[in-house]
Amino acid sequence: MAKGEFLGEFEHIVLLSLLRLGDGAHGALIRVEIESVTGRSPAIGAVHATLERLERKGLVASWIGEPTAERGGKAKRHFKIEAVGVAALKAARTALDRLHAGLSLRGAVT
Amino acid sequence: MNPPIVPRALVTAATPPVDHDSVIGDLHEEYLDRVRSHGRTHADSWYWSQALRSVPALLSYSRSRRSPGARIGTVVIVAVLLLTMLAVNEFAADVMCSFVRDTCTARSWPFYLVGWTDAAVFGAVLAAIVPSQGVRLAIISATALLVAIAAPIALGFSSRLTLSTWLLVFGAIPAMGLGAAAYQIVRRRR
Repeated sequence: MAKGEFLGEFEHIVLLSLLRLGDGAHGALIRVEIESVTGRSPAIGAVHATLERLERKGLVASWIGEPTAERGGKAKRHFKIEAVGVAALKAARTALDRLHAGLSLRGAVT
Repeated sequence: MNPPIVPRALVTAATPPVDHDSVIGDLHEEYLDRVRSHGRTHADSWYWSQALRSVPALLSYSRSRRSPGARIGTVVIVAVLLLTMLAVNEFAADVMCSFVRDTCTARSWPFYLVGWTDAAVFGAVLAAIVPSQGVRLAIISATALLVAIAAPIALGFSSRLTLSTWLLVFGAIPAMGLGAAAYQIVRRRR
């Protein structure tokens, strides 16, 4: 795997959140999901920038929805994870599991 | 109910046109939710915080899409920061002048210290806002400032500056670059 094909930490978080929410999730939902699950409050700009990068890598796909009044008349961009995205998550998990194998975190930090 | 206009304009300037609706719409949607659940004041401050924290990511995102709007947004943001830097410098020089008498009449070391420190802080702020281009943007904007000062003098529209003021302005270029570089080094170490 080339260096650029590895998932960055935030890319990993965004992909997992999208997987949890299912197809059709949009930026605001993904942002709230990350906040409620991890306790980390990302900026909406960071979420969109990451989604755009993931789309360029072919890991997610997007389409534009209809404008709605509760969004100030602005349309949503919906996202769905692609098979390549799921494969990238599996590869990342396998790599992390290998790194964790045989390690005990208890007492690792004094 | 509409979100505050200034942060909204900031996000609009930094977002590529193709994604303007999705970014502004997402912010609007969550803003309204927060107005209902926490009240207007909380929602306004949340919107400000989101807008300010979103700009660096949106600018780097926009560069990848080569949006002219984002470039204009970057220029506007840099210009506002530059004017703020000059205003802070004037204010600090006045304050220093009231404490250290020498700085009012002869331009001595505190004069340079305030000016160059201000420039270095500006460079660091620029590096924080546009992480991948911080040092380059700092040097370009300091050079632009130098040209903006020198051009009216060369064309005879403005009176000549003293040697010490020129020294201050020329010194601001490496000071801004060093400030930006220092910020990036500290950030990488973390």
